[in-house]
Amino acid sequence: MNRQTGLRWLSVLSFVAVWWLGSLVSSPEILPGPLVIGRTILTNFTTTTGPEEKSAAFHVAITLARILFSFSVAMILGIAVGLAIGLRRKVELAFGYLISLALTIPTLLAVFLCVIWFGFSEAGGLFAVILTVTPFVAVNMIAGAKALDKELIDMAHAFNARRGLLVRKVLVWQLMPYIFSAFRYAFGMTWKIVALAESFGLKYGIGYMFTFWFEQFNMAQVMAWVMLFVAIMLVIEHGVIARFEAKIFAWRPAHAV
Amino acid sequence: MATHAVVIDGLCKKFPSPNGRGEFTVIDSLSLQIACGSFASIVGPSGCGKSTLLNIIAGIEPRDAGEVRVQSQDGADSGARIGYVFQSPRLLNWLTVEDNIKFALEAQNIGRSSWNERVTKYLHMVGLAGQERNFPLKLSGGMQQRVAIARALAIEPDILLMDEPFSHLDEITARKMRVDLMQILEHARPTILFVTHSLREAVFLSEEVYMMSVKPARIFKHLRVDIPRPREPEDPRLFDLEKGLVKEFFAVLEQDFR
Repeated sequence: MNRQTGLRWLSVLSFVAVWWLGSLVSSPEILPGPLVIGRTILTNFTTTTGPEEKSAAFHVAITLARILFSFSVAMILGIAVGLAIGLRRKVELAFGYLISLALTIPTLLAVFLCVIWFGFSEAGGLFAVILTVTPFVAVNMIAGAKALDKELIDMAHAFNARRGLLVRKVLVWQLMPYIFSAFRYAFGMTWKIVALAESFGLKYGIGYMFTFWFEQFNMAQVMAWVMLFVAIMLVIEHGVIARFEAKIFAWRPAHAV
Repeated sequence: MATHAVVIDGLCKKFPSPNGRGEFTVIDSLSLQIACGSFASIVGPSGCGKSTLLNIIAGIEPRDAGEVRVQSQDGADSGARIGYVFQSPRLLNWLTVEDNIKFALEAQNIGRSSWNERVTKYLHMVGLAGQERNFPLKLSGGMQQRVAIARALAIEPDILLMDEPFSHLDEITARKMRVDLMQILEHARPTILFVTHSLREAVFLSEEVYMMSVKPARIFKHLRVDIPRPREPEDPRLFDLEKGLVKEFFAVLEQDFR
């Protein structure tokens, strides 16, 4: 373990320590300690207590599937729209303002609107994500398209590179930093919106369980589900995305992830 | 055998004016013939349209009038290979040195079976043997420009275009690169069209020197440099040639700016 990872673990450990100290001075109905929460999470996975008689693994899988699906749709749409706007002046004139408009919609309102339009259905959650996440991805891709290095494109043309080669070896790599920053941001937004939609009315999922226990005033369960959610998202962001990023950007001399 | 690698006849190029109204002529009825196998330099002040000329020859910039023909050694009009070394290296920083060269080979439809052999050969030629797996940003500016030269040579071009390739380097590195370029060209001998603003560089490197004036660009002087190679950078004969050219240059420039 190097110094940097050591420091990261230290910050996580000190958070748990503060939490534990807090739980000592307050009642378990207000702030249950880390041990209680850890045990609750374990029990949730091994038994099928709770409103729908499903184990935690089921709810986690449902939430992850919702996140993954709506996130992929929003990413693909955002990249396509962003590149079209960034590369074509006419498309920019036609749709540029719509993107700015969409960016101003508060996330919470988007979720409300989609619940009104689609009811408490999967489509509602999906459209809330598309409505709020797509414009952010698009804005990043517009910036990426505008920053493409004309000198490198000229170089490729001077060597007679065909379109496919140009896209694969010259353009995609230049867009990569923009795709990644969009990716991170979009992922963060998506899981928050999905959790919100689940607590509003979607059946099953981590957010659903969170609301259920909240209405029962069961603080240990509420915190167990929040902590589980946070832990999963942290692992995905830092374990999966960051590792992938480090590999892709190995060519940069001092890339700080 | 074709006698000329490049034939330019009555070339005109206009750009839109910076103020948005109308256009101005950068190159006006320029004609030029570069003999096969020769090392020709075009010398002119910055902004005279030298780079534009190379870009038109390379086919990355359209022309407004005139003819540009690039012929391969066997005389075929189409399919002449053009190598280009730019002012800055213009490498794909996310690809290894090796893959940067292979990019050009793939772009030129050169058979995959010869790729490794060519990479090794031309990296060795520019003095970068063993750097295959390195990324460009780990190399110095001079080394990056060597990779760019290897990339252009690896396609074994009929003509090699070089646009002030050493002007971004410090003088000591540039000087070493010029001497090395002469040595490299003893092994690989494409026709070379070299563009520079430095008369000293032009007379040291080339067999033919064309001098270009500004706005619009035209060739006002052609000079053969008959000093045999290898040449010494300090050769007094080169200095004499340079001095003569400088005088003529300023005479023409003063006319132009009057």
